[in-house]
Amino acid sequence: MSALSIVVGVLGALTAVLAVYYAAKDLSADLVLLGACLVTALGWLVLGIALGLEDLASDGPAPDRVVLYGYLLTALMMVVGGGWVGAFERTRWGSVVIAVACAVTLVLLMRIHQIWPGGFA
Amino acid sequence: MTAPRTTDRAADGARSSGQGGRGLEIVLIAVYAIFALSATARSLVQVLTKFEVAPVAYSLSLLSAATYIAVTVALVRGGRRSRLARALVVIELLGVLVVGILTVLDPALFPEPTVWSVFGQGYGYVPLALPVLALVYMLLGDRRGRTAREQGAGPRTVQP
Repeated sequence: MSALSIVVGVLGALTAVLAVYYAAKDLSADLVLLGACLVTALGWLVLGIALGLEDLASDGPAPDRVVLYGYLLTALMMVVGGGWVGAFERTRWGSVVIAVACAVTLVLLMRIHQIWPGGFA
Repeated sequence: MTAPRTTDRAADGARSSGQGGRGLEIVLIAVYAIFALSATARSLVQVLTKFEVAPVAYSLSLLSAATYIAVTVALVRGGRRSRLARALVVIELLGVLVVGILTVLDPALFPEPTVWSVFGQGYGYVPLALPVLALVYMLLGDRRGRTAREQGAGPRTVQP
């Protein structure tokens, strides 16, 4: 689980850095950047499912489920929403939105570790 | 990297504005949308599950969420030159300042943190910086927009 969350964090960070590069080069989001968003979103989806299964299987202290799944859903919506804006806003600012959205998911990932440390034990 | 240069915008038929998309405005909208989403989720959880713990703090939390939603909608519909968006951002700034001062002077009112506690400390002070940056951008954008109109560029169309 920890390994998976590291992968999701690295994906989010790489997408954010790529989006900053696009913005600096005055590029709008293309299929490479949108694909990076998609891969990051899939990573969040897999992490959410894995945490849900862990939650079902574990007999340790239960997480605050509303908050935990709320954060997972928020992160997924942000990556998808950022990619969506990047697809429609055909300027460098669309890439900036993707960078911001992906950076925020890194904070959410950190918070998820605090919300349910048991899920990553 | 084969991304299209944004200067090749003539080939892009999807845009509806003469200036090629919303530009920096879309970033402002996105940041407000992120805050609307997170503040709404947080305050709904707080109000629905443990309202008795801190009624004042949670009510203000809900109010801040409503403000972020209102600004997001006003920006999407009216753009940066919308008077309504400007008024709402001023209200937002006042809210951050009042709640920030209250949390410093009377922490007992706020046993649980909210988005605007201590000027948005839990959110990297972005809640304090956001309305200031938004107002600066709106006022500067207004001046540039007027100059562009005077040069015959015509009023900027609002996207549907």
